[in-house]
Amino acid sequence: MVDQNSNYALQTSEVYVHYGKKMAINNVALNFPKNEVTSLIGPSGCGKSTFLRCLNRMNDVIDICNVKGKFLLNGNVDIYSPDIQVETLREKVGMVFQKPNPFPKTIYENVAYGPKIHGIASSQNELDEIVKDSLHRAGLYEEVKDRMDDIATGLSGGQQQRLCIARAIAIRPEIILMDEPCSALDPIATAKIEDLINELKENYTIIIVTHSMSQASRVSSKTAFFHLGNLVEYGETGKIFTKPDKEQTNDYITGRFG
Amino acid sequence: MSSLEKRLAAEKRFKFYGMFAMTLSLFFVLILMYKIFSTGSGAFVRTTINADVYFDPNFIEVSSNSSKKEIMKASYVDLADQVINQNHPGLDEENFIKVREMYTRKFDFQLRDYIANNPNVIGKTVNLDISASSDLDQIVKGNYPRNVPEAQRKINDYQLSILDSLDSKGKMSKTFNFWFFTNGDSRDPETAGILGALMGSFYALLICFSFAFPIGLLASVYLEEFVKPGKITDIIEVNINNLAAVPSIVYGLLGLGMLIGVFGMPYQVPLVGGLVLGFMTLPTIIIASRASLRGVPPSIREGALAVGATKMQTVFHHVIPLSLPGTLTGTIIGMAQALGETAPLLMIGMVAFVMEIPGGAFDPATGLPSQIYLWSESAERGFLEKTSAGIMLLLSFLIIMNTVAVLVRRNLEVKW
Repeated sequence: MVDQNSNYALQTSEVYVHYGKKMAINNVALNFPKNEVTSLIGPSGCGKSTFLRCLNRMNDVIDICNVKGKFLLNGNVDIYSPDIQVETLREKVGMVFQKPNPFPKTIYENVAYGPKIHGIASSQNELDEIVKDSLHRAGLYEEVKDRMDDIATGLSGGQQQRLCIARAIAIRPEIILMDEPCSALDPIATAKIEDLINELKENYTIIIVTHSMSQASRVSSKTAFFHLGNLVEYGETGKIFTKPDKEQTNDYITGRFG
Repeated sequence: MSSLEKRLAAEKRFKFYGMFAMTLSLFFVLILMYKIFSTGSGAFVRTTINADVYFDPNFIEVSSNSSKKEIMKASYVDLADQVINQNHPGLDEENFIKVREMYTRKFDFQLRDYIANNPNVIGKTVNLDISASSDLDQIVKGNYPRNVPEAQRKINDYQLSILDSLDSKGKMSKTFNFWFFTNGDSRDPETAGILGALMGSFYALLICFSFAFPIGLLASVYLEEFVKPGKITDIIEVNINNLAAVPSIVYGLLGLGMLIGVFGMPYQVPLVGGLVLGFMTLPTIIIASRASLRGVPPSIREGALAVGATKMQTVFHHVIPLSLPGTLTGTIIGMAQALGETAPLLMIGMVAFVMEIPGGAFDPATGLPSQIYLWSESAERGFLEKTSAGIMLLLSFLIIMNTVAVLVRRNLEVKW
């Protein structure tokens, strides 16, 4: 499955994940094309979030979680190799979570934190620029430019989530993982995030887990359908939602289960 | 009666029981407070006798040119006797002793301190309020009855007549007893103060905090954030919880056996007292700190990890600052508890008679609670009000500390 074609930002194969003795992911292979949005859909507990968290090794912090498989970044970097520092990996693979989780610090500090710890900015001016630019790209700058020193937890849910996106892109990742980023937001905030995803794919590879099939069809070009830890079907989003190959996929997207 | 009526009646009864229990406990608290305040308030007032003091150079060993050190070293006993003779002329030797007993035994120290502050007074006459002896003080305050046979009185008939004549001349007065706040302990109730014990407790708590807070914080951070849960952590957890419930006297024994016995640290110093109180407070701090670390949502840790922070950066940049208000609250409450602990101080000897005000953690000292204990053991009536006043002071410090703890929690804690 893994080929050396570097049109893929991330290639995975033979992925198995166990929580203790319970299997969560069973032999999944998926490739993520560069600068495209890939959706992972499926019913609750199907393993799509678990799979997503493997991609920047967030599962490392869960003691009972055991990940096996091949994960190649840019066709040549094995992200689970002992030579790879997990911190450097996460610099390249950013993540946005289901519930907005800004640090209870100022808006500025939230965005500046990543660049600061990685030493990306060489001067205060440069740091200011990075913060401003990241907030711009996250479509939040106009709303917060006059209150950069306000505590971020005072923002609305949608603003908080866009702040988290700004925080993720401030360290200039190649890939952004999004774990149901709109599940805690109202439809207007959701629409803003979806617009943002469409803009961000120019520069980033985006992998998004979503419960909303309409969202998947709106934002992504590729869709993968998971069920009970198995990858059931993967393909062009248009095809998955209109003419899926598998009956299971058809049942799910037509709302017969899940 | 219908079932609903029964249930409503039960509810009413329950409400009544609750109110009764609350009223009863409030009642007891009020009695306690009344008792303490009515006994202790006397300690803040001191009876004085107005006297013309001629600083007769013939009775003073030093001159106005002497250094402060020399002035402080000289004896003023003769001067004090001379002042009494001048103010009560024509006393025979027997009556002189009786009159001398009406003034504080520390009369000479009071004169010394006055000269030390005003060296130019030598050779002049000044009108001064001299402190009365504690027994006279107690008679004036009405704590000793006057209308009992002379043999049952500390103040005899002759002294009473002198007192009445002084009173009729308007020479008796009462003044705010600042000595209570500026003096160390004394054999004489009228000059005994709480400052020595206060400083002893202060140094002990300082040591306690600087020892227990960093260790407690780091231990809890390690247990909560870094170590993998397993058998060993379970055993540690159980033991920490058990240690929090160990009686304080056991920690006193630990201090006596280990710090003093094995490490050869000095007896009755705040350093040892503070370390022992630190051992005692450590479990409280660890438990409070762990609870507050657990209160920091995992999403904050994930957020920091996801931008590439190391575990250590995550913990020190985000988790600890967020958990600090809870940790501090627990620490302050633990320290308040430590401030009131008497048993460990008894074990390590911080319960001896110490006149000097300790200048550091290595000087012999008592603590507030052990000072209260010491005074409560004294036979003299004058120490009774000191005991209550000491309790008032201790209680005020406890109230202040607990208020600070509540304020820290209310104002600094981050809400999610």
